[in-house]
Amino acid sequence: MNRAWLRWVPAAAVPAMIAAGVLVGSIPARAGDPLPPKSPAEVLTLLGQHSTRSFSGAVEQSSDLGLPELPAAGPTSGPVSAGGAASIIELLTGEHTARIFMDGPAKIRVQVMDRLAERDVIRRDGDVWFYNSKDNSAAHLTLPAFASDLPLPVPEAPALPSPDRSAPALPSPVPPSPVPPTPEDLARKFLAAVDSSTEVTIGPDLQVAGRSAYNLIVAPRTQGTLVEKVVIAVDGQTGMPLRVSVMARGQAQPAFETGFTSLSLAAPEDSVFTFVAPPGTTVKELPVPPLPLKPGLPALPPTPGSVNPGAVPPGSDADLRNGDAPKPTVTGKGWETVIGFPAAPNGQGAALTESILKDPLLSQAAVVVPGGRLLSTALVNVLVTDDGRIFVGMVPAERLLAAAGAA
Amino acid sequence: MLVALAAIPVLIAVAVRLSSSVPPGRGPAFLDRITQNGLFVAVTAMLVSVPLFLPLTIGVVAGDTIAGEASLGTLRYLLVAPAGRVRLLLVKYAGVLAFCVAAPVTVALAGAAIGASLFPIGPVTLLSGDVIQPPQAALRLVLIAAYLAVSLAGLSAIGLFLSTLTVVPVGAMAATVVLSVVSQVLDQLPQLEWLHPWLFTHYWFGFADVLRQPVLWDSFASNAVLQAGYVAVFGALAYGRFVTKDVLS
Repeated sequence: MNRAWLRWVPAAAVPAMIAAGVLVGSIPARAGDPLPPKSPAEVLTLLGQHSTRSFSGAVEQSSDLGLPELPAAGPTSGPVSAGGAASIIELLTGEHTARIFMDGPAKIRVQVMDRLAERDVIRRDGDVWFYNSKDNSAAHLTLPAFASDLPLPVPEAPALPSPDRSAPALPSPVPPSPVPPTPEDLARKFLAAVDSSTEVTIGPDLQVAGRSAYNLIVAPRTQGTLVEKVVIAVDGQTGMPLRVSVMARGQAQPAFETGFTSLSLAAPEDSVFTFVAPPGTTVKELPVPPLPLKPGLPALPPTPGSVNPGAVPPGSDADLRNGDAPKPTVTGKGWETVIGFPAAPNGQGAALTESILKDPLLSQAAVVVPGGRLLSTALVNVLVTDDGRIFVGMVPAERLLAAAGAA
Repeated sequence: MLVALAAIPVLIAVAVRLSSSVPPGRGPAFLDRITQNGLFVAVTAMLVSVPLFLPLTIGVVAGDTIAGEASLGTLRYLLVAPAGRVRLLLVKYAGVLAFCVAAPVTVALAGAAIGASLFPIGPVTLLSGDVIQPPQAALRLVLIAAYLAVSLAGLSAIGLFLSTLTVVPVGAMAATVVLSVVSQVLDQLPQLEWLHPWLFTHYWFGFADVLRQPVLWDSFASNAVLQAGYVAVFGALAYGRFVTKDVLS
């Protein structure tokens, strides 16, 4: 009998060893050398001065915004969403991984790894290519000469009126398929908002992508916003932002997080930045963006807000932004800003409202509130009133309703 | 069984050849590429056979290992020979592993052959939009087959263990196939997200990473580690069960 029990020892020992290995592996590895202590201002300077322009790495993005997730099942690569709200919602839910290759300011390649598919943005000097393997389509954009030395290509997301600027974002060329923002984009965007309404502190050092990083915490001083704090991991050596986590009030998991899972500071191979439209591809030539892209202030705002008017299909978007459209109204300031888009007199605003509410995904996510419909996420609320006005803000729904009532 | 597997790419290729062009985004991924390049028949066929046909093949082979001998009454004669039960178990498992390799290779070879005969063969467009020449594309096909062979190693260890539990081979075969389906279903439930990295089917579709440029090896490595874990656990269970079992038939 004893011998029989001995035979089962391996069957018990193997799972025990695996469990032990997992436990040991989950204990965060202690950094060899702690980073020299720095004040928040010094870390901000380090971040602002960083000049890492050659690297390759993998970025993982996860969101927990409370939006419904689109299922991806079976051997298909999911529906080809022809731009529009579906692909943006898809980008804002669940997890996404991307690889980023960058060499100098004018060579960059972003690969978004989808299930059995991939979306690519490749830029070499003035040539920008977008490629989507789902429908084998490519688009080409030639940047004007003045833009070709800008640090980053068009951040690939629809323009979002951002709360920290007094004017809504300028129209940016709508790329054929959105690409998630990089930690760098997001960090710049939130640091642009640092002013007296924001408290900046330093937390205990972090380990991100195997590197020691300062833990910069940007927190609104007000209670009147959905954002609790933004945590930026700043690489201790280079000052490069490695991870950005946006925490929403009352939610333990980050509402939105993007960060490197691996990073190499060696310059990637040059061939990575070469792209020739593959045979059989439908190539669309995109018009040159009408306005110079501002370096350092991507018009492409991070994600949370992208579910707002900027997310409508290009047609109605352009209509709305025609010169004679009424100016948006801004109430509140800092983190509590609410931007209101008036209903256009000739019914264009109504068309925009229609396009939001008619989209099957957005209309399912929107709930009916007194006086309109509310699209609520953990970070941003969007209110579409019955008369066609739209209010957007990183504030609780009550404040949007109050702003709508006052306007 | 390998003939049945080889029929999958043939069916796909003939169906695509006879029908009008497939709109992108409908049906399994890569299906729309077939008319442009015959090598995609092999990729599509492997993709289609991952959820059911390959696990079915492996389930039948692995479930039959010990239980099949027991039900035929040949198991005790095998054990009379001075070979030892451990050695018998290892040889049986090696046989299943050979099938793990042979099954995806069969699909790939049949797919490439039928694709080459019905469609033009040319430079292959990868998921990243880069174009590679047919010899390199053939290497990628080999990599995909290797990925699938590794993916099936865990399932075959489960099948081997189940096969030691019973003398009814059909029971072990069915249980193995059902487990692979259950695992894939669990992998689709977002409520069980914490469990997903532990499911042996979790990385099965990760072979698409081989079709990126540069190749993304992360999923290959994670898959190999996961499958090795399954092989160790169920191999140990099969050992415990088989060497303590009273062989009556």
